This record gives sequence, C-alpha cells and structure tokens, in this order.
Amino acid sequence: MERQIILSASHVKKSFRAGMKNKVMAVNDVSLEILKGETLALVGESGCGKSTLARLLMRMIKADSGSIFFEDQEITGMSERELRPFRREMQMVFQDPASSLDPRMKIRDIIAEPLLAWHVYDSKEKTDERILELLDMVDLKEDCLDRYPHQFSGGQRQRIGIARAIAVKPKLLVCDESVSALDVCVQAQILNLLKTLKNQMGLTCLFISHDLAVVSFIADRVCVMKDGQICEMAPAEQIYKNPGHEYTRYLLASVPQVIDF
Amino acid sequence: MMPVVKGISLEIPRRGIVGLVGESGCGKSMTAKSINHILPSFAKVTGGNMLWHEDSGEVCDFTLLNEKEIRGRCGTDVAMIFQEPMTSLNPMMCIGDQIKEVLQIHKLEKNADRAKERVIEMLDAVGIAEPELRYKAWPHELSGGMRQRVMIAMAMIGSPKLLIADEPTTALDVTTEAQILKLIRKMCDEYKMSAMVITHNMGVVSTLCDYVYVMYLGNIMEQAPTKELFKNPMHPYTKGLLSSIPRIGNNPEYLETIPGSIPVMKKQFKGCEFCLRCSDDIQKCFFEKAELKKVGPDHYVRCHVAGGEEE
Repeated sequence: MERQIILSASHVKKSFRAGMKNKVMAVNDVSLEILKGETLALVGESGCGKSTLARLLMRMIKADSGSIFFEDQEITGMSERELRPFRREMQMVFQDPASSLDPRMKIRDIIAEPLLAWHVYDSKEKTDERILELLDMVDLKEDCLDRYPHQFSGGQRQRIGIARAIAVKPKLLVCDESVSALDVCVQAQILNLLKTLKNQMGLTCLFISHDLAVVSFIADRVCVMKDGQICEMAPAEQIYKNPGHEYTRYLLASVPQVIDF
Repeated sequence: MMPVVKGISLEIPRRGIVGLVGESGCGKSMTAKSINHILPSFAKVTGGNMLWHEDSGEVCDFTLLNEKEIRGRCGTDVAMIFQEPMTSLNPMMCIGDQIKEVLQIHKLEKNADRAKERVIEMLDAVGIAEPELRYKAWPHELSGGMRQRVMIAMAMIGSPKLLIADEPTTALDVTTEAQILKLIRKMCDEYKMSAMVITHNMGVVSTLCDYVYVMYLGNIMEQAPTKELFKNPMHPYTKGLLSSIPRIGNNPEYLETIPGSIPVMKKQFKGCEFCLRCSDDIQKCFFEKAELKKVGPDHYVRCHVAGGEEE
C-alpha cells in the first residue's frame, strides 16, 4: 500500500548573504518527502543546512526557489494569513528548552497557550482536562502546573516543550536537536518518550540531529546532508549496515562508539 | 556551604589517560578545577591533598601552594583545555601571539624569533595547515575544531606533564571530534604526557581512556580499567549509564534508563546518594554510605549490593 505523503519538497533552494558580495547556498536543490507516521531524520555536521531546511519546510523562512507541499496543497508562496491553518499542523520542539519557554509564564499557561490560540475547546474545563492529559502523556506530575520553567531540570523542561508542541495534535512534529543538550540518562528518557508518542499518536516526525547513534534509535529513514545538499537518503537500517555514499561512511566512522569489549 | 565533591581519591599514572565521567552537576569539572586553583570564587577546597610526584621523586602538595606558586606550575606542569574554545581564546590577539605568551610568561624561550619558530612548529604538530600563515589568524576566523587545536597547541607548548581536558569535544561535530580525540592520544604518546579527560560521553571514554572513574553527586561510584568497566559494570549507576546510550547496530525498542533525574541535595544525606534512583536498593542504602570495595584487579565499586554483600 502506498503511504500518504504529509510533506514534500522539490528542488528547494535558499541562500544567505555572507559579507558584501558573497552568497552562501544554505540549502541547495533539496527534494524530499515525509510519509505519514514515519520518523525521518536529518543528519549532518553543523552548518550543513539541516536547520535551515527544517525552517524552510515549516515556512518559517521563505525559499528562494522550489516548491513545498503540505499534504496536497502548495504552501511555498502562501501569505501569512493563508498559512495560518497549516501552522497548527506543524509544531516544533527546540534544542534549548530553557530559552524556548517563556520564563514569566506558569507551566499551565505555557501548555494552554496553543489550545487557547486555536480555540480548540470552548470551555475552560475541557482545556484544563486536556492539559492534565498532556501532562500525563509526557510523564509530569500535576503539581508542576503552577510552577515556572526555571524550577525544572533540563529534561523536565524538554517534556514541557513536547507537551506544548503536541497539545493541538499536529500532523507533523519537527524536533530540532531536541535531545542534544541533555545528559545521557535524560536523553534516553526523552527518546523513549518520543518513541512512545509516535507509537501512540501515530505522530509523523522530522528529527534533526547530528548524533548518528541517537538517530539510529529513533529514525525509520535517514537523510544525510552535506553543504546544503542531500547526499544520501535511505531506510535507517540500510544507512547503518550498507552506507552508499562516501560521506555517510566517513560520518559513521567518526562516531566515538562504545566498544563492546 | 554544600559539599560538591565529597572526598574523592584518584590517581593519574604517568603516561596514562584517565577518564572522569558523570552527568552534569556531579562535580567532575570542580574536581579538575581544584587541581590548578581555578575554582569559582564561591567554591573552595576544604580538605584533602593533591600530591604531585616530580620526576625526581619529590612530592609536592598542590593544595598548599599559594597563588603565585600555582601560576608557575600551570602551563609547565599542568595544562588545561576547555569545552568552548571560542570563549577561552582572547578575541583581541592573533592565535600565534597567544600561544607565544606561554613561552614568554614562563621564560621558556627568551629569543623572540626562536619563540615564534616554536609556536609554528607546535601549530604544525596539532595539524594546522600552513602554520606560518595561520600564526597571524584571529580566533574568529577559525572553525570550532581549529580553535580546539589552537587550545591544544597552547596547552602543549609548555610541555606539561599532565593535560586536563574538560569536555574537549562536546561542542564539536562528530568528524572533528574524532580528529581531536586522535590528536590528544597522539600528543600524549609523543610528549610522554598523562591526561585526565572529563566527559559525559561514554563513547569518548571508551576510545580514549585507559582507566575510568564514574562520578555521581560528588562521589566516585565505580572505578576500573576501561575494558573491564565496559565489559563488567558493577554499580547500578554505571549499568544505567551504559544501557541508556543508543548504539549503532544494536537497538532495542526502548532504551533502558535510570528513572528520575539527579536530585537536588539541600542537606547532607546519610545514605548512598544513588539510592533514590536505584533499582536494587536495600534498606541499608538509605542509612549508610557504602565504601569503595575491591571487586576485581583495579576494579572498585561503591555499593552495598553490587559485588556481593560485605560480611
């Protein structure tokens, strides 16, 4: 059975100005498809354009050329107003949970904000109910609700960020280096959480990371980027067992592996 | 005052690379910083000693040295490299002059031309291409990996006997990380130097270190030769750390992980600090601290349960 495509991009380009004359091609002619229910990982070194690509796909910045489709509609040239319904379908979890939560808002308000902005529920009781449900999904306790972000550890803040992102039941979740700033044990907890959510909600996820080991745990398909271009895109198993591109092999060889003695 | 490092003992052998691993906040950086007296102003060493064994056989206690004496040792006996190479380099000085400073301050080379030559040789040794041209480069012109190479050059030029590397590759890409790890190993072998590597990355430990200390909340929980530690981890914390790393080519449906996060210790705790997150804790763990006990050659573990009940 052919699986449904959620987001697709074809021949997307984006350049930034560097200095007076020069241009940097941050994303150079990239085409990809994200299928419903899968986790697609974007890997590459810093500066390879993976974050820029994610921002382009989410229409946070405009592409120079190429086209991006969400489900069946082209969103490349849409105005902010036309885009608004699509904003709800794509949510993001950021790298640094400390700076992506408003320090002056209580956790209750942080999680409620997307629900209120979208008028998801017509009564306050239903909203509160949903907030509790979300807290339970990310394994946080009810007494967190009236506390502020600084009272939480990095891992807990990331859970709050995830709860906020999945509050409006998006079709696509973009995780931009969401576990890179966490300690190993906490990182494992968050990875497990993401996997559970994916299994429970059938969440489609674009997972950006530079850590190939993390990607091997979570991704169904892996897309390796270098200098703004995709150099290899294949199912995860194939990337790790039988890498086709030379750069993929080089990346894999560089990972300091825990050697099984 | 809260103790952050609670009476740990460790040894760094001559020409050996020792790893100190643990999650953030376990006191591993504080341990390193106390060696060359660069603790932040709110922290101080309250007890114990740090013995430096000279080649001549003399022993010197670093905790007793005053500010001036320890400054004389930094760079020539003990050198340190840090996590973020950008913030540890002076943005107002070209890299060559920054490295040359070490020679000037320690009066290792009085002749200015010769000093410059030595800097260029060192830049070449750490793998910077065209070292003559790069001598005049500014820190902002270099990539993260290059900056870390400059930091290593700066640390190495005084030919120290011990290199302390505090999370040397955390801010770097995997490909650069691999190069820097290789470089540290090469430098240790070539210059007959010892190193203490502080990291939270088990992969770094297993590729670089000969001996590992695992820290948790200011205590050493387990220590063993690298091979032994990875093959036969005894402490539940070490086991948890190892099982929570995703590994390429061996992926379970879910990662086994240590529940909860590092507790905030407001008061001194009588029992084992790990017991709140431990799966095999017994009643004793809450009331009594475990002592380090020997479980194999050079393998010690601080746990009541692991390695058999004592007596």
